[in-house]
Amino acid sequence: MDPRNRASMKALSPPSSILPFMPDLLRLIEGLFNQAACDLIVGDADCRVEIVLSTLTAIERHLAAAGADATPVLAAIAGARSDLPGLGAEAAFERAQAGWHSWREAVVHQSGFQAAATAPFDEAGGARSGDRLDADRATLALDPEFAGIFITDSLEHLGTIEAAVLALEAAPQDEALINEVFRPFHTVKGNAGALNVSSVQELAHRAESLLDLARAGKHRLAAVEFDIILKTVDLLTAHILELRVRLAGGRERDLDAARARLMDAIDRLLQGGGGVVASPAPANEDAPAAYNRRAEDQPGSAAVKVDTRKLDHLVDMVGELVIAQTIVEQDTSRAQASDERLARNLAHLRRITTDLQRTVMSLRMVPVRQTFQRTARLVRDLGKQSGKLVDLTLVGEDTELDRRLVEDIAAPLMHMVRNSIDHGIEDADARERAGKPRRAQLTISARHQGSDIAIAVTDDGAGLDTAKIRARAIANGLITAGDALAAPDVHQLIFKAGFTTADIVTDLSGRGVGMDVVRRTVEALRGRIDVQTTPGRGTTFLLRLPLTLAIVDGLLLQVGSERFVVPMFSVAESLRAQPQQVHTVQGHTCVVRVRDRLLPLVRLADLFGIGEATSDPAQGTIVVLEADDRHIAVMVDSLLGKQEVVIKSLGPSLANVRGIAGCAILGDGRVGLILDAAAIVRSQYHDHVTTAA
Amino acid sequence: MSTVERPARRGEPAAKLTATEKFLTFALADEEYCVPVLKVREIIQMMDVTSVPHVARYMRGVINLRGKVIPVIDLRTRLGLPAQPDTAQTCIIVVEVAAAAAVALTGIVVDAVSDVLSIPEQDIEEVPDFGGRADAACIRGMAKFRDRVKIVLDLDVVLGGATAA
Repeated sequence: MDPRNRASMKALSPPSSILPFMPDLLRLIEGLFNQAACDLIVGDADCRVEIVLSTLTAIERHLAAAGADATPVLAAIAGARSDLPGLGAEAAFERAQAGWHSWREAVVHQSGFQAAATAPFDEAGGARSGDRLDADRATLALDPEFAGIFITDSLEHLGTIEAAVLALEAAPQDEALINEVFRPFHTVKGNAGALNVSSVQELAHRAESLLDLARAGKHRLAAVEFDIILKTVDLLTAHILELRVRLAGGRERDLDAARARLMDAIDRLLQGGGGVVASPAPANEDAPAAYNRRAEDQPGSAAVKVDTRKLDHLVDMVGELVIAQTIVEQDTSRAQASDERLARNLAHLRRITTDLQRTVMSLRMVPVRQTFQRTARLVRDLGKQSGKLVDLTLVGEDTELDRRLVEDIAAPLMHMVRNSIDHGIEDADARERAGKPRRAQLTISARHQGSDIAIAVTDDGAGLDTAKIRARAIANGLITAGDALAAPDVHQLIFKAGFTTADIVTDLSGRGVGMDVVRRTVEALRGRIDVQTTPGRGTTFLLRLPLTLAIVDGLLLQVGSERFVVPMFSVAESLRAQPQQVHTVQGHTCVVRVRDRLLPLVRLADLFGIGEATSDPAQGTIVVLEADDRHIAVMVDSLLGKQEVVIKSLGPSLANVRGIAGCAILGDGRVGLILDAAAIVRSQYHDHVTTAA
Repeated sequence: MSTVERPARRGEPAAKLTATEKFLTFALADEEYCVPVLKVREIIQMMDVTSVPHVARYMRGVINLRGKVIPVIDLRTRLGLPAQPDTAQTCIIVVEVAAAAAVALTGIVVDAVSDVLSIPEQDIEEVPDFGGRADAACIRGMAKFRDRVKIVLDLDVVLGGATAA
C-alpha cells in the first residue's frame, strides 16, 4: 500500500477503543441507509425530506454514541443537510450515502473488516455472501438463450404495463384497462416462474394479486395503489436490468432490501391497511396528469420478430438490385427504341423494383409510439413533483421513423417536456388568476412533412420570458447590455452554448437541461429545432428530423479522379468564384468572400492528397459547408448532381479517417466517400484560430 | 489421421494441425503463395477501387461487393515487394478474418490465382526469422509441394495492421 495512503488511512481510522464494536456499528449504519433508501422508493413525496432528515440524525447519534471518529461521514451528512433544500431529498441523501461509503471503505480496508462490514443488511443478523439475485442469475445462466428472451420480453411487457397504468389512472374503473394492466403482470410472473427467477416472480405476483382484486371489484384503485404499481414496474425493470448486468459478469446494485419493503407495502394494501380501500374516488383536482391517447387503433396486427442483420442484408441486396436494373436499362436504351416489347418488359421490371425498394426501406421504420409513451410517465411524475396539473395529449403516435432514430430522439424529447413543465407551465393557482383553466395542456405531435418527420411539443403555459432570457444572456456574456435584439432573436439565445449556467444540473435533481445540448443532439441526427412562443399563451418547440438516418440526400462532387458525396444538409450554397473574390493570407491560406463574409477556403484535393485536380479557385467550384453555425468554403473541380444514397460504414479498419464520415454506393455501382462536413468545418476553425494567434 | 504437434515458436502456444489442409495458391511477383481455403470467401475480377485518403500505403481502398463495402489491400505493398501495374490476370481474393464482433471481409489484390492444393501438414516447414524483416511475421511457413515451394501466409497478421498512415 502506498505510504501516502497509509498516512491518510490513519487519519480516518476510528480510535482503538471502539474497534471491537466496528463491524456491528458499520452494519447498523449500513442498515439505516438501506432502510431509508427503500422508504424513499415506497414513501410519499412529501415524506422524503422527513425520511432523509430523521435517518441522518439517527446515524449521527449512533456515531457519536459509539465514540467513533467519523469526521468525514459527519461532514458529508452535514453537507447533505445544508444542501437538501437546493438539491432535493434524494440527491442530498445520495451525497450523504456516498460520503458514508467512502469512509467505510477506508475503515474496512485498513482494519480488514471486509467480510463482516460490507455484507448486505440482514434483519436476522450475520453476513450473507450473496443475495437472491445472484441465485437467480445462476439459474438463468444455465440457459443463456432463454435468459436473453426472458429479459427482452419482460422489458417489453413492463413497457406495456406502464403505458396501460397511466391510461388506467385516468379511468380507474375501466375494466378493459384493468385487464390490460393485469395480463402482462400475469405473463411476467408466469415467465419468471417457469425459469425459476424467484425475485421477479414474487414481486410480480404481489402486483398481480392486487390487480386481480381490482378487476373483481374487491379493491378500488386509488392514488396509493397507482403509485405502488408504478413503483413495482420500476423495481421489476431494475431487477431485469440488474440480472442482465450480472449475467454479463458485473454487479451494480443490491435490490433485495428494496424488493422486501415494496412487497411489504403491497401486502399491507392487500390486507386493507390504512383504510385505503374505503376511500372515495379522488377529486378531479388531485388526479395526476390525465393521459389522453388520441390514437385510433389498438395494435391488433400480426407482427414477426426479425433479426436486424437479415434486414440489413435485405436492404443491401435490394440496393444492388436497383443499381443492376438501372444499368440494364441504360445499356439497352438504344435497343428499347426499336423493340417495344423489350421496352415494356423493362418498364415493368422497373416498377416492381421500385415497389420492392420502397417496401424494404419501410421495414426499417417503426412507429414513434413507444418513445412518445415514455413521455407520459415523465409528465405524470413531474406533475406530481411540482404540484402542477398537466394533461398530456399525444397525436400521431403511428407516425413512423427509422428504428435507430426512435431511440435517439427520446432524450431530446424528455428534455423539452421537462423544460415545458419546469419553466413554461404555471401552477394551478397562477393559471386561474390568469384566467386559464387550472389544468395545463401539453401536446406532443408527430407527422410526416415531405421526407422529414415533424415533432412539436406545445404547452399553453406562460411562454418564454424574453426579459429573463435577455438578462441571463447578458449575465453569461453572450450579448452585451447594449445589444438591441428583437424578441425572436432573444428566444434563439436559449439554444446557444454557454446560455445555461452551472446551476442547471442533471436529471436527478429535476432541473431543466440546457437547450444547447438538445440542439446539438438534434443536429447530430441531421435535424433542426426551433421555437415559437406567445407571452402568456404558451410555447411550441418544433423538431424536424430526416425519416431515416440511413439515407441521405447527397451532392456529388468531382475532385481529380475521385468522387465524393456531401450531405445536402450541410451545404449552405455553391458558386463559381470570381478571381476578385479570392484572397490569399500569409502567402498560402486562402479566403473567399461570399456575399459579405470572408470564409476560409479548403481545397479538397489538398485535404485528401489528390493529384491532378483543379488548383485555381477561380476555375473550380466552391461549395459552402455549414456546421455548428460556422461556414467554410470548399473547393472542388465540379458538381456532378444530386443523389439519394444509402450510407454505409467503411468498416472497423477504416473507421477513423479524418474528414470522411462513411461511404455510399453510387448510381454506377462504385463506392463514393461521404464527407464529414462538421469535422472539416471544425478543423478549419481550430487551425484558423491557432495560426492567427 | 494422426495429429502431430508443431514445435512452438517463441511465445506461441503449440498449435495442433490436422494432417492435411487445403490451400488456395496464387502468384505474387515471381513467387507462389497460399492461404487456407477455409478463409477464402470468393475470388473476383479486378474492379475499380475507390481510394481512401490518409490510410496505410498498402490499403488500396474500398469496393462494392454486392452491396457490401469492403476494404482492399495491395498484398505486394503489404509484403514489401515492388509495386507493379495490374494486368488482365490480376484479381481480388475475398477472405474472412474474425474481427471483434463479427466476421470481417477483406479483399487482397494478387497477380493471378492458381489452384487449390491439399498439403500434408508435415510438408510445411517453419521459416527462420530472416534477420527480423518486417514482413516475416506474415509468413506462417513454407510448404513443399512436388518440387515447388509455396509460402504460407498468416492472414491474421497480414490483415491485422493498423490503418493510420
